[in-house]
Amino acid sequence: MNILHFLRSVVRTPSRNKARATLMMAGVTVGIASLTILTSIGESTRRETMKRFKNMLGTFDTVIIRPGSSKNRGMVSLTNVEPSLKFEDAAAISGQVPEIRQVAQIQNALDIDVKYRDHNGTPAIFGVTANFLDLRGDQVAEGDFITDEDVRSLTRVAVLGADASKQLFPDEDPLGKTIQIGDVPFVVRGVMVARGAGPAGGSLDNLIFVPVSTASKRLFNRDFLTMLIAQLKDPANGQVAIDHIQTLLRTRHHIAPGALDDFNLTNPRAVMEQVTTMGSTIRKLLLAVTILATGIGGVVIMSVTLIGVSERHKEIGVRRAVGASRGAILLQVLLEATLLSLGGGIIGIVIGVGGTQVVSRLQHLPFLLQPGAVLLAAALSIALGLLFGAYPAWKAAMTNPIEALRD
Amino acid sequence: MIRLERVSKTYSRGGTPVTALQDASFAIGAGDFVVIRGVSGSGKSTLLNIIGCLDSPTSGAYVLDGADVSHKDDAELSRIRSQKIGFIFQSFNLLPRTTAVENVELPMIYADKAVSRTRAEQALARVGLAHRERHYASELSGGEQQRVAIARSLINDPALILADEPTGNLDESAGAAVLNILHQLNDEGRTIILVTHDDEIAKHARRVLLIRDGVLRESEASA
Repeated sequence: MNILHFLRSVVRTPSRNKARATLMMAGVTVGIASLTILTSIGESTRRETMKRFKNMLGTFDTVIIRPGSSKNRGMVSLTNVEPSLKFEDAAAISGQVPEIRQVAQIQNALDIDVKYRDHNGTPAIFGVTANFLDLRGDQVAEGDFITDEDVRSLTRVAVLGADASKQLFPDEDPLGKTIQIGDVPFVVRGVMVARGAGPAGGSLDNLIFVPVSTASKRLFNRDFLTMLIAQLKDPANGQVAIDHIQTLLRTRHHIAPGALDDFNLTNPRAVMEQVTTMGSTIRKLLLAVTILATGIGGVVIMSVTLIGVSERHKEIGVRRAVGASRGAILLQVLLEATLLSLGGGIIGIVIGVGGTQVVSRLQHLPFLLQPGAVLLAAALSIALGLLFGAYPAWKAAMTNPIEALRD
Repeated sequence: MIRLERVSKTYSRGGTPVTALQDASFAIGAGDFVVIRGVSGSGKSTLLNIIGCLDSPTSGAYVLDGADVSHKDDAELSRIRSQKIGFIFQSFNLLPRTTAVENVELPMIYADKAVSRTRAEQALARVGLAHRERHYASELSGGEQQRVAIARSLINDPALILADEPTGNLDESAGAAVLNILHQLNDEGRTIILVTHDDEIAKHARRVLLIRDGVLRESEASA
């Protein structure tokens, strides 16, 4: 057999029936396109989610303690929490829970007007302890962060988040300048390195840090905290630490057995694992649906090829008469199906890559094309052609040339 | 060239065996022009299919070019068809949506030699269709289609040409042109076996075999 011309003849046959070829390719195209989009978007979503949570939390190896019994996932502030979490609780946790290395105290408020000359804004105000910087893994871009001494002596110093800095000092060096938080003047001590986008896509940099003691006594006049972040010595001990902190706080808050906690505890690592597991379950489900869709593409290949074989009954007879063996006919039909399937697959990959780009842009995700996914899609479309072309090819090969020619 | 020894073919049709060909024995020499004549259903197509290596005998021996091909497998029979046999059919059997020259090239694809467009064009010129190379089968008249089919049957240079009612679908002048080409091919030394039920055509043959109810005999008319 003359392989080169045989292949040429294989390539030409579909072009003689364009409607059939289009139909065959369309099924595979749809499946492969959605598969490409799904795998690419799924992976970039997972990575982006991880990154944004990391941006927000800095580290996952903590226990976050918040006042109130419900697991309020929104932004907490002095105006929307129970006054149940006290400064003494922070000291007790860092002193008495062996799994905890250190505890950062946070007292934050929203909607406070901040001014510098004729620039103003309403960044979130975070009263924090000095260890917040180290615990969260934030970095200071210019100047310095709040110190333990600041917290002890209620200094009126402020450290600006990157966005807050830009808003108040669009064209000035903020260091050493005095800003008004509410009616209280603060001296700018430093400016933070930007954190990037949070889980919801918003900025995490529109904030100002002040010493927690100053915030409590000079700014807000509140003696309770909005959040404690307890750093774990060993990341694996999250649950043990949660249990110990719960027991400790229930005792300290005199909560009767059976009554609800007036605080809630979260281990970000456990939450992240839940989120990513849920995400991967959904992705697996979607993947199964997509594979099913691709499989339907395969069934389309099979039925259209079968129709083609019966339409070309006579042609097969002629080919047999002029010297084609059963093997040659089998190969021809199989290669035709595979070629069309691969063609549909390649179009699907192109559409998929384009679609991934569109979805990435709409979802503000990084465009992440996985070469493995593209190769897999190509391999899958070849496999579909071979698998679903096999039966029609076998039927074609078994065509009795005598009967085919007689018709 | 061809020798059949007590060749029989029995089909099973709905469970009952049907003998399409019974104890056919004859020989055809290289360069002969033989007409096999018989009515529809007489077994002449079965005989032609066996000679053409599209079918195998149930019993008996078929010797082609000195080799017994009665029990060859599909790949070997395909190779023999490709190298030694050219088919011409009553209904032409050109591939649809394919040009004349591509139809002529078809047998070369399945042969072990290079596909040559030039040879295909020469074969078409040979049957007087040089100007019709790029035409599709559907754009050709019956006579032209049959001449394309003849060019196709010639392309691998077979020693044996089998024509099954080649003029059956043609008018008189187109039929005559086709027969004329077949005689030319015979003059070149190719063996022609022509199956027909038409007595007129039989008259042109040096030798006529009659077939009736699967039984073959030499025609008294021929000699």
